[in-house]
Amino acid sequence: MTRSPVFEPLRHSFNIRLNAWMRRRQGADVLPLTLARRRLYILPTRAGLTFAALLLLMLLASLNYGNSVALFLTFLLAGFALVSMQQCHRNLLGTVLVAARAPTVFAGTAASLHVTLGNSALRPRWQLEAAVPDQPLASADLPASGERHVLLPLPARARGVWNIERVRLATAQPFGLFRAWTWVYAPLQLLVYPRPYGALPMPGAPGRRPGTHSEGSTGADEWRTLRPFREGDSPRQVDWKAYAREAPLLVKEYSPPGAETRMFEFARLTDPDIEARISQLARWVVDAEARGDRYGLALPGICIPPDRGPQQRHRCLAALAAWQP
Amino acid sequence: MAPAAAAPDLRGLAWCCAAFTGGVLLHVDRVPLWASATAFALLAWRILTARSSGRVASLVVRAALALLLVATVLARFHTLNGLAAGTALLVPMAALKLLETRTPRDQLVMVGAGLFLLVAACLDRQSLARAPLYLLQTWLCCAALTVITARGLAARTALALAGRALLLAAPLALILFVTFPRLAGAFWAVPRGEEALTGLSDSMSPGSITHLTSSYETAFRARFALAPPPPEERYWRGPVLHDFDGYTWRRGGSSTESRQPLEPAGKTYRYSIALAPSQQRWWFALDTPAQSPDARVLLTYDYELLAAEAVTQPVNYEVLSYTEPRASWALGAAERYEDTQLPQGRNPRTLQLAQSLRQQAGSDAALVRAALEFLRRGGFEYSLDPPPTGRDSVDDLLFSTRAGFCGHYASAFVTLMRGAGLPARVVTGYLGGEWNPIGGYFVVRQADAHAWAEVWLAGRGWTRVDPTAVVAPERLRRGLLDLFPSAMSSRERLLHSSVWLTRLLQRWDAANDWWDANVVKFTLNSQLDLLARLGIRSPDIRHLGWVFTAGLLSWLAIIAWHIGRDLKTPGRDPLATAYMRLCRKLARIAPARTPHQGPVSFANTVSERRPDLKERVDALLMRYAQLRYGAPAPATHTRDVTDFARRVARLRLRGAMR
Repeated sequence: MTRSPVFEPLRHSFNIRLNAWMRRRQGADVLPLTLARRRLYILPTRAGLTFAALLLLMLLASLNYGNSVALFLTFLLAGFALVSMQQCHRNLLGTVLVAARAPTVFAGTAASLHVTLGNSALRPRWQLEAAVPDQPLASADLPASGERHVLLPLPARARGVWNIERVRLATAQPFGLFRAWTWVYAPLQLLVYPRPYGALPMPGAPGRRPGTHSEGSTGADEWRTLRPFREGDSPRQVDWKAYAREAPLLVKEYSPPGAETRMFEFARLTDPDIEARISQLARWVVDAEARGDRYGLALPGICIPPDRGPQQRHRCLAALAAWQP
Repeated sequence: MAPAAAAPDLRGLAWCCAAFTGGVLLHVDRVPLWASATAFALLAWRILTARSSGRVASLVVRAALALLLVATVLARFHTLNGLAAGTALLVPMAALKLLETRTPRDQLVMVGAGLFLLVAACLDRQSLARAPLYLLQTWLCCAALTVITARGLAARTALALAGRALLLAAPLALILFVTFPRLAGAFWAVPRGEEALTGLSDSMSPGSITHLTSSYETAFRARFALAPPPPEERYWRGPVLHDFDGYTWRRGGSSTESRQPLEPAGKTYRYSIALAPSQQRWWFALDTPAQSPDARVLLTYDYELLAAEAVTQPVNYEVLSYTEPRASWALGAAERYEDTQLPQGRNPRTLQLAQSLRQQAGSDAALVRAALEFLRRGGFEYSLDPPPTGRDSVDDLLFSTRAGFCGHYASAFVTLMRGAGLPARVVTGYLGGEWNPIGGYFVVRQADAHAWAEVWLAGRGWTRVDPTAVVAPERLRRGLLDLFPSAMSSRERLLHSSVWLTRLLQRWDAANDWWDANVVKFTLNSQLDLLARLGIRSPDIRHLGWVFTAGLLSWLAIIAWHIGRDLKTPGRDPLATAYMRLCRKLARIAPARTPHQGPVSFANTVSERRPDLKERVDALLMRYAQLRYGAPAPATHTRDVTDFARRVARLRLRGAMR
């Protein structure tokens, strides 16, 4: 659709005002959210407006010709449109937005919002549409007393923490003459890790030259750190001696053979482009985690001590994503 | 659109084709053959190429086809305006649009075309028999809307959804239909196309009435206020013909004379007529109508009823008719001249016979009697299919073939009278009618078409003489189809073969009569009558508005409630509801039940606070515990729960919490 240069700014400012008004009216939402009457809006669709024009034409023609049968059919179709308005409203009313979550992605890959819609009514709901502003919508049929998951595409973003301000739930069913919709203002965030990119070799462990570490290691016997006990840890790894000294339950963590401890420092990189440096650091974090190394990250103002595991990877990448010079 | 979405796309296409086909089928017997044939060919083309991607026909081909269609309609109808030409154009043009139907939006346009054709069909014909077809088409279009907008909906679901919505809409449609104020006139002039004329025309040639006799169509229905006339008085007057060229009788141009007052003699009948659309200007009345029933209808010199406009919709009117009226004035010279004219040099033997009859007869009345006697004695045969006659048609009938139909005898009799110098004219119309005991009216069909003669007798005026009644007296009592079963189509013969079927046919006809009178002719007056019957004194349009608003609002409320019921979540347990209610009531006299408290423990809390109520409260809470946790008694459970709920409802607790 072509957008008029005159009306587009007007439209845009109107939308912003409308959005602010709805936001004030509704307040912030907490999931799971059952869609209440107060927050639903409904207007005729383009097809609905055409249908109304057709009805008007039918009314004029049948009145003019004094034709009872055509007049009755006109009224029947008008009633049909009103019923379809009620049904459209009902198709959305009471829908439950059970959960919404945007899994973390790397910059440059497609992001999406995972939405779970629930239906507690005894009737199925048809073609519920969900979308974030200015993005293609995803639709789903909800079975009676059931749930469905939909993936809403999100715009591609640079690294960082992005707020998903609002989610639109809508339906034009049945008959497509009206569209009922609502905006959900839930606190949703999308975390975009920096793109892991760069060809510089990974720096070694601090104070140790790369390659010397493995000779001195005695394999699995050598533990590196102590961490609090978590359910599921093997009792053989618990530091019972420390426990006997009335310390809390601690678990010895071992490094796999060949693993190293590395520190990735922003300051050591020389590339004038800050984003390139961030990408390089992300590359090292991802690679080190894949190798099973222990690694830490030093950004101006932030220092993450060496560790490993998904938590550490996330900690480092999230720090890289959010860091601003 | 992605290729993966091909299947639902086909479903939408199929449904929009169906909605459009339904619309075309409503017109298939009215539009020219080429129009419907083109539409069906294009439909077939579109369906066969449904799986192919890209446009079916190039823009050039489509534009050329469109131009060709417009040109054809123009050549055939000389206009694009009007119902007939418009429909003939819409049918193939919409089919052409089908060729470029790809998106759901295009498909919706096709459904719109289906609805347009539906309205055009209503404007064309609104008989009872077609009403179910119109409803079906409405249903089909609504279901198509669902399938197209909700891609991938099953046909059954779509039909069920649309059907349910239409059923919910029906009460509103009724309310609106009854209360929406009707217009007295029209916004714009209604152009009528050339449509098939039915019934009598304003000329009569040998055989022109015969061709009507095969038509079982209703011409009009007549309902008498009091006793109906006897069969020999059931002559319904149509066009009166004066000019004879030896072959065809025509109305002639002199009927501009003003009428003279008549003196009613014989019986007077008051009755109402429901006239079926004939696309002609003739209204019909029994023998001699006293006055015009409508301002737009002229009562002519010949006592014909001639409307200003063709009858395109059913018409109802009331008439007062005289039988055997007398005219005491003398016939004007111009009329006398016109009604004694005969074509030059034709029928010499008839003229000779007329002269001899004139000489033998002492008076005009005797002349008429002598001529009738001639017909009675001459061995004449009443026949639907008489042998053809030559240039001297009356001579041939009277002296050689001796077989003819009512038109032939009327023509011969008038020729005879004019030959003898007595002013005479041919009257066409209908004779008889079938009594419908269910509706209490007479049905006059096209098959009852008849022609008779009128002669001028001094002192009496125009007097009806029916020569056919002399040749075939049974025609008066029995309908034509009874006399000539061969004239009936096989369908009618079948329908008349059993009493049961005949009765069914009469019921159907009565239903049609009711439909025409109460639905098709539902006007502002009918609306006000209805209001008066509802008890509103001197109703006007404002009252209609009130009833309309009240009806609309109550319908909206009921619909909202009905549709909202769907939202009820499962697990609404009447026992739990009653228990919650009990707890709320008890919370007024005791501390509210805490979530962890069961009924027994809660009963203790309440009794501690209000020992005076212990017995009643304990009984109820224990009953709840028993119903909820006790041994199941499926047979009486529902009743027990209802009973418990009633006891909870009746519980009255005096005195607030202390």
